[in-house]
Amino acid sequence: MTALLEVQDLHKHFGGVQAVDACSFTAAEGQITGLIGPNGAGKSTAIDLISGFKIPDAGTVLFEGKEVQGKTPHIISRMGLIRTFQSPREWPGLSVLENLILACFEPRRERFWRSLWGPSRAEKERANEQLTTARAVLDEFGLFQLRNERAGNLSGGQKRLLEFARIRMAEPRLVILDEPMGGVNPVLGERMASAVLGFITAGTSVVIVEHNLPFIERVTDQVVVMAEGRVIAEGPFDQLRGNPAVVDAYLGEMPSYDDADA
Amino acid sequence: MIDYLVTVLTEGSIFAIMALGLNIIWGWSGDFDLAFYGYVALGAYMTLALTIGPATPPTTYILGLSLPFPIAVAIAIVSAMLLALIVGAIALRHLRGIYFSIVTLGAVYVLYIFTGQFVPLFNGYNGLSGLFDPMGDFFGLDFSSYSFFYLGLCVVVLIGVLLLVTRLNGSRFGVALRSLREDERAAAAFGRDIYVMKLKAYVLGAGLGGLGGALFAGYLSAFNPSAWSPVETIILYAAILVGGRGSTRGVVLGVAVMVMGLQEATRYLPEIANQPSFAPALRLILTGIILVLFIRFRPQGILPERRLRDQDPAGKGDAAVVETAVTGPTLDTGAA
Repeated sequence: MTALLEVQDLHKHFGGVQAVDACSFTAAEGQITGLIGPNGAGKSTAIDLISGFKIPDAGTVLFEGKEVQGKTPHIISRMGLIRTFQSPREWPGLSVLENLILACFEPRRERFWRSLWGPSRAEKERANEQLTTARAVLDEFGLFQLRNERAGNLSGGQKRLLEFARIRMAEPRLVILDEPMGGVNPVLGERMASAVLGFITAGTSVVIVEHNLPFIERVTDQVVVMAEGRVIAEGPFDQLRGNPAVVDAYLGEMPSYDDADA
Repeated sequence: MIDYLVTVLTEGSIFAIMALGLNIIWGWSGDFDLAFYGYVALGAYMTLALTIGPATPPTTYILGLSLPFPIAVAIAIVSAMLLALIVGAIALRHLRGIYFSIVTLGAVYVLYIFTGQFVPLFNGYNGLSGLFDPMGDFFGLDFSSYSFFYLGLCVVVLIGVLLLVTRLNGSRFGVALRSLREDERAAAAFGRDIYVMKLKAYVLGAGLGGLGGALFAGYLSAFNPSAWSPVETIILYAAILVGGRGSTRGVVLGVAVMVMGLQEATRYLPEIANQPSFAPALRLILTGIILVLFIRFRPQGILPERRLRDQDPAGKGDAAVVETAVTGPTLDTGAA
């Protein structure tokens, strides 16, 4: 397994708070890597630093072997690393279908002059292909009937699915999911778990930040545990259960997951 | 009566061009720009300074050329776009929502006062005048037929602008701009260079503002700071909001209702003795009331923005743009 994402010695402080402190971990290609830790561990900041939404004080982020730290979000996104946000960020005033179509960034077609002259024949074909793909993806996520609906009118769970559908459309090399299970009911959770596994099949590796441990246990190959800005443990979830540092910082008394709700 | 109609339609066409420009900035990319009338004014001033010939004392102004009207208009548009590039490059860099609005408001008042006080630029508060019947001699038009010609010119330019805007509206560029309006962090996460895209929209919109200003100068034959108050931008916003933010047809309708309709309807009110400002004041009050009613009851406007819809119930065939039941954008100042 080669490392698709390699974070080395990342630092970020806000005022007197050292949010991310010498954080290093890797995410392998073709795997689902979980990023867990208590609130305030620096997980979200780490994601912001990796995806370019915040600039690190020090450290390196290698994506496919290339340094991306300090680059702007759109550049990193174009390289094939797309992230989601803690609360769903659909484009509310656009239709569900448009949300999917716009998930594919098309540098040529989106240029001003290109738009003025109108699309070439090849670009029209490409647009039609995209439409077909979008319909298939919408069908897969159970959003097909809602495709003409204003995205802002969807329910919270549907918006989560829409975010996943956009990732499927964009087909990035790596997606970082920031708490995708927030406010999601168990039935939908099942669907999202299989969607996350579906990303791997589609060739998109996954880093997932999540507090829902049964979900983490179910889908991840590898888990990175953060606390107070540092990585305190790394490994498969099963091994981490017995790690005293992890139990102390995050898991606490191990709950029984047999009757857990997801 | 016919002369009156020609006047109203000419003004309406010019305001529609301006409103379509502002709609690109506010309706599409979502930036509540208060400097817009500055670009209109610069377009007007430049057109005059490039066509009315050298200054005769005591008037002073820059350039003082006698270029043909179309060339002057082209230069006026480019000037407005350059100014917008400077203002936009600063204001759009990090500021959004109300902060962007405040900076653009500051910029336009700086320009307004500078133009008034710095007499060598555009003759201060007296402004520029003397552009009579542009291209009239060229076509051998006399005074009576000229107003028809100018109306025709404005309508033709408006149609050209409509074609341009319609083309961009349905294009990837146009739809991607909407994603900035809706959620720019998500747009960045999906590869859009927010700053560059917003700046493009801003400069393009300002270019249409400059074009509107240039035609306005030709219509008024003069321009001075009393003819352009930055508050005029609000009238354009009212037209866009009432017609339908983001919607091309809506904006044209909005201009018809709010600029032409309201203006002309209040013109026939009986004059009240010693109260000459009654009608203009009433017009502003009515504008305010209509705005409040629309924001409360129909924020998407009369003709809401159309969205790409997949018409085929089975989901086959091409998607087409059709009238939608989708509610339009909510009213905000573009804050993320």
